[in-house]
Amino acid sequence: MDLPINPANPSLIHIDLNSCFATVMQQAHIQLRGKPLVIAAYTTLGGCILSPSIEAKKLGIKTGMRVGEAKKICPEVIVRQSDTDLIRDASSKFIKICEDYSPDVIPKSIDEVVINFTEAESYWKKSLPEIGKEIKNRFHKEIGEWIFCNVGIATNRMLAKLASSLHKPDGLDVINQENIYKIYSSIKLVDFPGINTMYQIRLNAAGIFTPLDFLSAKNDYLRKVVFKGIAGHYWYLRLRGYEVDDFISTRKSFGQEYSLGEKTSDQEKLAKLIMMLTEKMGRRLRASGQTAQGVHLGLLYDDWTFWHKGKKFSEFLYTTSELFQKVMFIFSRQPVKKIVRKIAVTCFDFVPADSQTLSLFEDSIEKKRKVSLAVDEINDRYGEYVISPALMIESKKTILDRIAFGNRK
Amino acid sequence: MLEKVFEKVSIIFSYNREKNSFTIYKMGWRKRDYFIKRMAYHHKVREGRDLFHIFHVTDDNLDFRIRFDTENLEWILEEVSDGSAN
Repeated sequence: MDLPINPANPSLIHIDLNSCFATVMQQAHIQLRGKPLVIAAYTTLGGCILSPSIEAKKLGIKTGMRVGEAKKICPEVIVRQSDTDLIRDASSKFIKICEDYSPDVIPKSIDEVVINFTEAESYWKKSLPEIGKEIKNRFHKEIGEWIFCNVGIATNRMLAKLASSLHKPDGLDVINQENIYKIYSSIKLVDFPGINTMYQIRLNAAGIFTPLDFLSAKNDYLRKVVFKGIAGHYWYLRLRGYEVDDFISTRKSFGQEYSLGEKTSDQEKLAKLIMMLTEKMGRRLRASGQTAQGVHLGLLYDDWTFWHKGKKFSEFLYTTSELFQKVMFIFSRQPVKKIVRKIAVTCFDFVPADSQTLSLFEDSIEKKRKVSLAVDEINDRYGEYVISPALMIESKKTILDRIAFGNRK
Repeated sequence: MLEKVFEKVSIIFSYNREKNSFTIYKMGWRKRDYFIKRMAYHHKVREGRDLFHIFHVTDDNLDFRIRFDTENLEWILEEVSDGSAN
């Protein structure tokens, strides 16, 4: 027998700040309001657009485009680099407001949160749409009058996110048992969060062309024919409003990447950049109280070929110099030394730093770790890179502070 | 057009005890006075133990990003922008 649509009252609110980076910039810079603006990684023509303003989106400028492409669409488009301090401040105010309504607030990224009202709804004596409107008003009042958000309310995370995307910008929508068929009949498969064009092709090949086809597909068919695995069963539940995404994933790696402003094949310059990335990665690793046993290096060359290599070691890597040594070991194994345009370093296979048996006769490991932690503390207190490896002296500000897309942990 | 400045400026600033609010009225920069009409955003930045207050204000013609250094009580004009493309 087919599972019915989840009859429970919606208890999740998904909130998404509209064009976050651009909107917050317009909030702070009044002269930019109402104008096509893009926030890009670099303001040069090849810079990647991270966030177009609502006005730029209306002209067809999209996230991921190059600045040059945006200029072709609209020569007057204003290009700015992101102000990370400003965005982080707006994001923390945004999360703080959400935390006034429920103890269960899950930040999904710098501009998205899910508020779970399963335990808190009865406390508020208000409906979720009323709470959603109140949160919107508080954003205007407490963060700024130019801050708009989309609010989606549903019984699971996927439908709440879908609801928040129905009326952009500044929408508020609820998906429940009564309107789910109507909403599914008005959207496309790619409108579902997690269904991209490749997935759409896969669904089409299995005879599923619309969200209603997707909803009417049997559990066994999705599991055995379409997705060929448990993902099919999860989609069967998601589409009917049941929650399958409320797990907390554990971090399995720390990584840093950098697109070179000036592409180079100079091995010494590249080593300096790798040191900076390794230092940033190492600080995050040490702050998490873990050691890594594996490192990975990826290099994207100027001819768009990609070389990467990962390796596991028997040692537990903790200090920046230990990590750097291993990354450089991999770096030295490049088959061809070409002009590099992007570098990525990652460490993985974590073991808690305090659960390792250290050598009874060799105390230098313990000393090095303590020195590393002390250096991190000094940098936290007196500013980034106050103490840094000698290799970084000339290039301290080369690698800019960036805000990552995706989950916040 | 955005111009990075990083120059010391003179500021007339008030704090209202009852409303717990603060206002920048006037900024003196390069022998000219700019009368501030609105504060668009205020936030704090820490660099190590140093705390800076960042004020995004406008005189309705230009946007200014002004930094107040709590360590030495200096006001620094960091950026000026007229909201046009560079």
